[in-house]
Amino acid sequence: LCRGGLAERLCRLQNRERSAISFWRHQCISDDKTPSDKSGVLIVKILEIFEECTIQVAICQQLEQSPVTLSPEDALINAEEPILKVLFARETAAHLKSRPQDVIHIYPPWQKLLLRNTDVPVILNTYFSQKVLLSEHSEAREKTYDRTKMLIRKNIISLALTFRLDDLDDKLHQEPSDNQVACAPQLHNNGDSKQHPLALSAVNDSLLDMVESQGAVGWREVQVQVVIQRVYCLPAREGYRSHTQGNKPLCATPGTNSDPPNVRLCLLVQDAYGMFSEVWLQPLSSTDDIEQYCRRWEGKSCCLAGMKILQRTTRGRALGLFSLIDSLWPPVVPLKVPGQSQDSEMMTTNLPPPSFCYILTVQSGEMHVEVDEEEQISNLYQPPAVHGLKEILRIDACNKRCSFWAQVLYQRLQTKHTVPINQRDILLFVTDSTLQNVVHGMPKVVAVSVTASCVLSMEIREALSAGSRLVFFKDALWGNGRIICVERTVLLLQKPLLCLAAGADLSKLTGPVRLDELDSTTQANSICALRGTVVGVNESTAFSWPTCDRCGNGKLELCPQDRELLYCNQCSEVVTTPVLKMQLEVFLSCPSRSQSTVKVKVGHEISVDLSGVTYEVQSVLGKEVGLLNCYVHSVTSRPNCVVLEEIVLL
Amino acid sequence: STLPAVAEELLREIKKAFQESSHVPDDLLLGLKFIFGPSAVPALDLVDQRSVTRLTAPSGRTLYQVLGSSGKLYTCYSSCHFCTCPAFGFSVLQKNESLLCKHILAVYLSQAMGACQELSVSEEQLANILLAEEEDEG
Repeated sequence: LCRGGLAERLCRLQNRERSAISFWRHQCISDDKTPSDKSGVLIVKILEIFEECTIQVAICQQLEQSPVTLSPEDALINAEEPILKVLFARETAAHLKSRPQDVIHIYPPWQKLLLRNTDVPVILNTYFSQKVLLSEHSEAREKTYDRTKMLIRKNIISLALTFRLDDLDDKLHQEPSDNQVACAPQLHNNGDSKQHPLALSAVNDSLLDMVESQGAVGWREVQVQVVIQRVYCLPAREGYRSHTQGNKPLCATPGTNSDPPNVRLCLLVQDAYGMFSEVWLQPLSSTDDIEQYCRRWEGKSCCLAGMKILQRTTRGRALGLFSLIDSLWPPVVPLKVPGQSQDSEMMTTNLPPPSFCYILTVQSGEMHVEVDEEEQISNLYQPPAVHGLKEILRIDACNKRCSFWAQVLYQRLQTKHTVPINQRDILLFVTDSTLQNVVHGMPKVVAVSVTASCVLSMEIREALSAGSRLVFFKDALWGNGRIICVERTVLLLQKPLLCLAAGADLSKLTGPVRLDELDSTTQANSICALRGTVVGVNESTAFSWPTCDRCGNGKLELCPQDRELLYCNQCSEVVTTPVLKMQLEVFLSCPSRSQSTVKVKVGHEISVDLSGVTYEVQSVLGKEVGLLNCYVHSVTSRPNCVVLEEIVLL
Repeated sequence: STLPAVAEELLREIKKAFQESSHVPDDLLLGLKFIFGPSAVPALDLVDQRSVTRLTAPSGRTLYQVLGSSGKLYTCYSSCHFCTCPAFGFSVLQKNESLLCKHILAVYLSQAMGACQELSVSEEQLANILLAEEEDEG
């Protein structure tokens, strides 16, 4: 098959359809009752059946509701009910074993086709069909029928009947709504009974109206005015799978991530009635644009048109999304009440937060989001509420979104080498003036975990490595004593335009940063400061190497002329007094945690004069080590041991 | 009969969609599969490979030739549904299982998407092609 051709595409669609069908059939069997999602289901009663080629054609009456709820008298043919021609594929027909008077439930996605010159619509793609039995009596009848084969009339099609695709000119003068294949949308009722007279220029203000008009005539032209509450990036799932192919993991070389990031720009919007929706826009070629989009778009009104519904999600299924929605509830202005006049507004203080949210996406290739950047910030917009870290650590709740400014002191990347760098979790140690100025009871530094699902721009990644910059954490999650950055959290360097800051300017740190001292409460994967006396050295793991005293080059070579001298090829000169760098593990006796063995991996330097003096490592013993900043690798109680590593704060 | 009208409408929709956006939406492709069954994918493949040629003689008579996957050229008539391939004889004529074979479907799809190659031939050449089929079967 041609790559990228129509045949290949149909093959793919067909495979997907086949799995959906078998999954659905299996579900029907295992559930032993009709699937609960009733929206979009076509209920028909068969009047007559015949066959053409291998397709079974059933003339049916469309029923408004399931006849289980109707009394037997009402189940007579009502002449006013619409007639349909429903086509069933050979396999579906064999599965259903339909007979006249049978009631069939047809689940989406089915397709409706309107033929020219006839009133009777034709229903196709009826793979997801199920026969519904009306009573126990019919169940018994069903069993006897199974044993007798029903004879179905077969129409022979004349070969003289050719298809004419030509005379489309008369079609151009007709309404475009004629003869269209209308597809039943995935989630809700096919709205052919609701004929909305939609004018192209009319702008709606209700997301729910737009969602409910999907599938009806002209739904593509519906425009909805909403407010952009948040702008963020979500990782596009397919991209992640392509990074780790089977057993061969691809590790991106640090700094040269030439693959375009697989992320998508998304908006969280809210309409005048308070309803939220997440809109998935185009994939971004560069994550650095996210900061610009946030600044230019958040708080502004925008017009959505031609949206396609991707999913309707609920609180239980999308905790992350709803924690963000909860942080925007209750609304700061009164909401409109549906169905009532413009003047009537609803006070929002006691309204429960929404329990469902639609995820929308744009039709491929078309941008249907128009943001009025010149306009004022909308009254409905709720900027992120900025708090000091001290206040956030005191919040007694789970899964709350919080925003704060913080100085990043130290960064630690997850060490799994099989995962590409830009997908590894990062552990950040941050602080702000509210924590630094605390005397008792609160830690001076807090750990923030950044998961791979939180999209970071290259600019932010560089800033996190370089340090000494304030980073704004927008909509991070606080819960279970930890702050984590997940999907929908955005890290920014610039101050967002509108921020509710509680109290004084929290961003400036006065004085040097202090870490908590090592004590009995210190836990693993944290940072601390310690002081003590060297009581031992782990000689088996100590190693040293000479470095150039001029440029610091750690890769010195032996001089070609005199093999006893060292040569630095960066300075192009002999090194007569190299600096000996050492890495060793020392055992300390720390008064702040006197019961434990404290083992610290430290670096040490001594300047060496190669003109004959020998150096001794033993001089380290007994030395006082004062206020070393360390990362805690592990804390064990039996043996009572703390293993740390000296670090340099950013 | 219903099926021919449905098939015709589906093909018209494809033509219209293709004229408007040079793209055939997924739902129409699935509709093709539903109506034409196993012929759908092979027919699309023939279209992807530009296998359909329309032969036109000065009198206005036309004929279609489709290059099958085996390399054989099959002839499809314009005035009625007929194809010289064995599948047509079996599935359509004998068993009445399909409306069309994949070659005839490919002819319609190529018409709808403007993928037909065009060839002008003389009256004699056209007649020879038609007669040659008879000789093969004889």
